Amino acid sequence: METSHTLAALTSQLLVGLSRAMILFIVSSGLSFILGVLRVPNVAHGSLYMIGAFAAHTIATAFDGSVAAFWLAMFCAPLIVAVISLVAERLLFCHLYEREHLMLLLFTFALMLILGDLTKMTWGADYRSIVAPPFLQGSIPVLGTAFPRYNLFLLLVGPLVAVGLWLLSSKTKFGKIARAAAVDREMVGAIGINVSWVFAFAFVLGCLLAGLGGALVSPTISITLGMDHSIIIEAFLIVTIGGLGNIWGAMVGSLIFGITQSVGVMVLPQFAIVFPYLAVVIILTLKPTGLLKSVW
Amino acid sequence: MIKNILRTPSFLWTAAVLLVLLLVPFFAGRFYVYILAVVFVTGLLAMSLNLLVGHGGAYQFHHCVFYGVGAYTAGLILAKTSLPAWVGLCAGPLAAALTGLVIGAFCVRLNKLYFGMLQISLGSLIWIVALRWYDLTNGDDGIHGIPMPELLSGSVNAYYFLLIVVSACLALMYLILKSPFGATLRAVRDNPQRCEAVGIDVRRHQLLAIVIGTFFAGVAGVLFVVLEGSVFPDMLFWVLSLEIFIMCLLGGWFTFFGPMLGAAIMVALRTFVGSYTDYWTLILGVVLILLIFFLPEGIMGVNFRSWQRRRERRRSADAVR
Amino acid sequence: MRRKRVLSVSLLLIAGFCALAVLLPAPVEARNIKVGIVDTYSGPAAVFGNDALNGFKMAVNEINKQGVLGGKIEFVTRDDKFKVDIGLNMAKELVLKEDVDLIVGTVNSGLALAVSDAVAKKEKIPFITWMGKSENITGKAGHRYVFSTTENTAMAGKAAANVLSKKPYKKIWVAGDDYEYGHALDESFSRYMKQLKPDVEFIGKTWWKVGEPDLVPYFTSIQSAKPDLIHFCTGGASMANVLKTIKTTGISQKIPVYIHTAIDYAVLKPLGTEAPEGVMGTMDYLFYYPELSTNQKFVKEYQALYKAPPGFPAFHAYTTAYLIAEAFRIAGKIDREKFIDAIEGLKVDTPVGKVEMRACDHQAVYPILFGTTKISKEFGAAIATDIITLRGAEVMPACEEIQAARK
Repeated sequence: METSHTLAALTSQLLVGLSRAMILFIVSSGLSFILGVLRVPNVAHGSLYMIGAFAAHTIATAFDGSVAAFWLAMFCAPLIVAVISLVAERLLFCHLYEREHLMLLLFTFALMLILGDLTKMTWGADYRSIVAPPFLQGSIPVLGTAFPRYNLFLLLVGPLVAVGLWLLSSKTKFGKIARAAAVDREMVGAIGINVSWVFAFAFVLGCLLAGLGGALVSPTISITLGMDHSIIIEAFLIVTIGGLGNIWGAMVGSLIFGITQSVGVMVLPQFAIVFPYLAVVIILTLKPTGLLKSVW
Repeated sequence: MIKNILRTPSFLWTAAVLLVLLLVPFFAGRFYVYILAVVFVTGLLAMSLNLLVGHGGAYQFHHCVFYGVGAYTAGLILAKTSLPAWVGLCAGPLAAALTGLVIGAFCVRLNKLYFGMLQISLGSLIWIVALRWYDLTNGDDGIHGIPMPELLSGSVNAYYFLLIVVSACLALMYLILKSPFGATLRAVRDNPQRCEAVGIDVRRHQLLAIVIGTFFAGVAGVLFVVLEGSVFPDMLFWVLSLEIFIMCLLGGWFTFFGPMLGAAIMVALRTFVGSYTDYWTLILGVVLILLIFFLPEGIMGVNFRSWQRRRERRRSADAVR
Repeated sequence: MRRKRVLSVSLLLIAGFCALAVLLPAPVEARNIKVGIVDTYSGPAAVFGNDALNGFKMAVNEINKQGVLGGKIEFVTRDDKFKVDIGLNMAKELVLKEDVDLIVGTVNSGLALAVSDAVAKKEKIPFITWMGKSENITGKAGHRYVFSTTENTAMAGKAAANVLSKKPYKKIWVAGDDYEYGHALDESFSRYMKQLKPDVEFIGKTWWKVGEPDLVPYFTSIQSAKPDLIHFCTGGASMANVLKTIKTTGISQKIPVYIHTAIDYAVLKPLGTEAPEGVMGTMDYLFYYPELSTNQKFVKEYQALYKAPPGFPAFHAYTTAYLIAEAFRIAGKIDREKFIDAIEGLKVDTPVGKVEMRACDHQAVYPILFGTTKISKEFGAAIATDIITLRGAEVMPACEEIQAARK
């Protein structure tokens, strides 16, 4: 009786950890992609995640909270974030590509500061909340414990995004050019491809993923300012342990992060949040460049 | 070497500024004395970072961890044990340097961006432990009311103590940078491969620089405790690390006093602009972008370059005579 | 190159001018009472900070019609972003630079304790917290210069223990925010529960970091342990997340849940009709209960100004404003020590009757209401039902307890 109880508890924690890992993956895959192609850690990634959540709220509640509005929000919020990132990139970022990496990093930090305050100005300081459509609400019993339906939905979306990204980067022309530009941008420029536009697309795609993550996570948490600070450090760590620029590495890192935290809650709740960081330190001690091969 | 330094015009300028600072408490209100003391602490922290980044070329992305370790060590010893105060004050920088050594040993195995990302990861572990170990560190609330010996408490006493310690640290830093070790550090920054070829152990030099830089960061942390009587987990949060970077950028990477000036401007802006508007971070972001585009050498950097050029012209003119 | 030099020199000059402008003495103004407010105006707890500010503004407008000691009450606000280090800096700036006569605010209990110690006690300036609820503020960490015009965790814990000890709950799980307020809630409730029902068992404690975004793993883990009752010790930063996760996991349908301030309107309003039902909570003020004419008048005026009914922060801030005005009037001059002597033991009229600022510990005496959430179609949000009222005398810790704790 006791072992089946613990087994049930463990399974539910694993499933919860997996679904959290999916959100982490969507966000950090974008970060990893930008890091791989542009070689810059995008500190503003968290801000775009936050804007995705706020935008999703605005759209979802605009039409009286109907089900169609929710799906519209899931579709449009990432696009809004993509537009914002395109504007930032074309207006300012692209002029810095020739500069050293430290400058690019500091630029993304400045972007984070500005976007954070712009979010406060646009949406105010109060927290917001949106709800999933009725058929995704509530929970279903899984091995004796209740598992929220929305988390099950996330478990389906995550792998879809992963497969989509993999197809994009290995089967499409853009993906191949992007990977080539990551390794040797001068060569790519020399054969006549406009490297600046490659970078622009990569940056926008990465930010779109951040916005998508924000939109998808919004029914499960309260949407507030400060979301940017908490997600970015986790995304950074995931990208570091997965291998800089490696999308599958981001998946592995997210799984490790999500599962260690949720199982940790069961084992040692006080320090649950430390488990992912410990895992990061152990992995980096053994393999400092990350588990999977870095793109460069 | 020291006699040569004493004769230069920059030393006279420095002495003049120091004199003014010594007299400030006599004519300025308590708030400004306090703000100047904050500038000293922040400036020392920025200078310690610049030692590693500007002069050493390392991607020290999470420097404030060492600042926080220094502060927490001193704070915990002073607040929770009955050891004499000087033990706590000295243990802080030592703990910071030790942490720097351990983390540095991990990081110097890698280059550039990996160095930085690894440091963020390891540093974040220390941050999360400080934040979550409620019984030891009071977690998010921080530790307050840390007792200080009579000699150091009170805003004027604290001000003079900070001024003396920071001046001593800056003098030390200057000597280190002017020494052969400093020259090697700059050589490693500019061309590590050539240094290896000449037989310099690049890794060991970087590690030594890290230990020195993190020691001074620890000193800054201890001084914060003396001034404020509190420690917070946010002292170890990565946002602060990036803010120190901005200070170095603002003041000038490759100059000596640049980061101190950058820290002064940042503290002044944060205090005075911050009280008028809720959107202080927006202004900071805009200033940072302007700096990146138009003034990447920082305020002092620009003057430094033109001063260097003038000195070169004068030298070549002298050589011709 | 020249342009850059010009730019950098001008930046230096601007900085220099700013420094000069600031160091020059300010012109002397007519003497108003200056109140410095440090509170949270961004992030999830902003809903409380704004509610309080609105209540305070409304009271100050009424008071200034008559004036106090020939002048008016004016105030400045500072946003602490729910962070202790930022709030402490703001408080210091208000005292050292803005020369305020007293400080109020701080929804964050950790910040309240820090300000109480590092600013109020050190600078000998009165500090009234209108929302920091940890009992330690006026309890073991209390002193002459700190006051509380909010109900505290001891009062809430005693009231809740009074009601819940009569129910058949034996195994209790505690879960909450890992900071001063969360721990104070746990300590107070556990202490009184054990006194009233000695065979109660606290089978587990879970603490998450303040503002933790993803609470689902914690909830599923607690559910697996199958307690009889869950006591959530959460506040400004995580309350919204907790209530939301209760709804999405449906945990309150299976296991009874008690949270202090869960029945407050400022907390429930943003969730609208998606708030969880059947959650038990305590609060010292509800705008719809009791149906006193003074309360209804207060609510109507507030609603006319701010388009929504007031929550407890507005009520506390309103009461604070009147306490300040009355205390200064009795003191006869703008003197900090005389103000403190005047406010001790002072009673003022509030929308729900007379409230006393108890002299022995500087704690305002409020009744505590215990209720259960239920969606109300009329308000488009959840309200409390089955309300039980416990009088101030029943819930306040005894003065002797406080004196003993402060030693």
